[in-house]
Amino acid sequence: MSIVEVKGLMKRYPSFELSGISFDVRESRITGFIGRNGAGKTTTIKAMLNLIHPDSGNVSFFGKPILMDEAEIKKRIGYSTGTVNWYPRKKIKDIVQVVKSFYDTWDDEAYRRYIGLFNLDESKMPIELSEGMKVKFNLLLALSHKCEVLILDEPTSGLDPFSRNELLDIFTELKSDGVAVFFSTHIISDIEKCADDVVYISKGRIVAASSKEAFTENYSEAGESLEETMLRMERGVAHA
Amino acid sequence: MRNIMLKEMKLSASLLSYLFILSGLMFFLPGYPVLCGAFFSALGLYKSFEFAREANDTLFSALLPIAKKDVVKGKYAFVCVIEFCTLFLMVVCVIVRMTILKEAPVYHDNALMNANCFALGAAFFLFGLFNLIFVGGFFKTAYKLGRPFLVYMIAAFLSIGVFEALHHIPGLEVLNAFGTENIKIQLLLLMAGIAAWILMTVFSCRKACICFEKIDL
Repeated sequence: MSIVEVKGLMKRYPSFELSGISFDVRESRITGFIGRNGAGKTTTIKAMLNLIHPDSGNVSFFGKPILMDEAEIKKRIGYSTGTVNWYPRKKIKDIVQVVKSFYDTWDDEAYRRYIGLFNLDESKMPIELSEGMKVKFNLLLALSHKCEVLILDEPTSGLDPFSRNELLDIFTELKSDGVAVFFSTHIISDIEKCADDVVYISKGRIVAASSKEAFTENYSEAGESLEETMLRMERGVAHA
Repeated sequence: MRNIMLKEMKLSASLLSYLFILSGLMFFLPGYPVLCGAFFSALGLYKSFEFAREANDTLFSALLPIAKKDVVKGKYAFVCVIEFCTLFLMVVCVIVRMTILKEAPVYHDNALMNANCFALGAAFFLFGLFNLIFVGGFFKTAYKLGRPFLVYMIAAFLSIGVFEALHHIPGLEVLNAFGTENIKIQLLLLMAGIAAWILMTVFSCRKACICFEKIDL
């Protein structure tokens, strides 16, 4: 069952354009959103979250357009964006206390678990955290309120290989709890390790959106790994 | 709304916004343009907007599970709370100056305006201007602060100049009343100031909600 439906998103900027972005994110599946830097991943995610306004197209969560009931839909979504520094000089525990007040589904048990797992110190301020720890702090906020769909923009960037591995394991665990995970990345091995579905974007266009198996079947040449396939495809797009 | 106010007060606000509430006590200063107290309180609020912008507050707020217009309303609610706290101190000053200190020579021998109900109405007007020009101007882009604050500064100091000059115009001496002199006119002017504040704030907030909805963050 589709939890998120993105249909025909178009957004034109002076030097870049998203054209006809369409894909689904399904329940209990991990969807990897892959593309090189500047391909349009963050713009697409921002459009999904109503942070930017597409020229055309629409985004639905749980069968409802996001504009219909934005607040209620956002309660059911967990979102995290890479290393953005929220309130760099406020203590983590103060930020958490405020965020918690917005969610009646806030799960203190999950929060304690992830703060321990990520080795975060609540009395620190974001400015005192390394880039990788900032990613973990953003993830902590996204993971602690029993969301039904997780939308993560470059969650693995800046993480060490051990933390990346742990995070991908968390995705698998969340998936088994019925959560749909949608994460953008430019690291193909992240997709290889845990994604069920692949959405591949290049130069503002969706090149492929399918299950990982179907993607390999349709695009990979004999003996080619996913990484090799994508690199070859990207070179093809670049030359097109 | 309680949670968005908590966010505004705990995360988005600069300490200076709270400290500058004390500028309401400038209504006690003799020989000083007392309306500058309202300007300094607005300056404290400006620091919160600046602080919030550096902390990515707008994007953070837009991602919270609230409608985008509630982000705007939360900001206006915070601004209004700080303004009311400043105005409360100003009211205390006015009451003391209208009663216990109504004969104090230090206030009588003063070419500048007296801190009376008219001055309070003028302070409401200045805060209304801040909400209309600065807060409304900020939400046109949700990041540009300098230009709307500059425009507000010019409008505020021009208004202060006009308010200070009015009682020197023949026939308008009643504006500089002491104690309970001309109390009906004084209260009427206070009401006019409050009405101006309400109109400017409501108009600005509604417009800001529409603008913020259209902005790409």
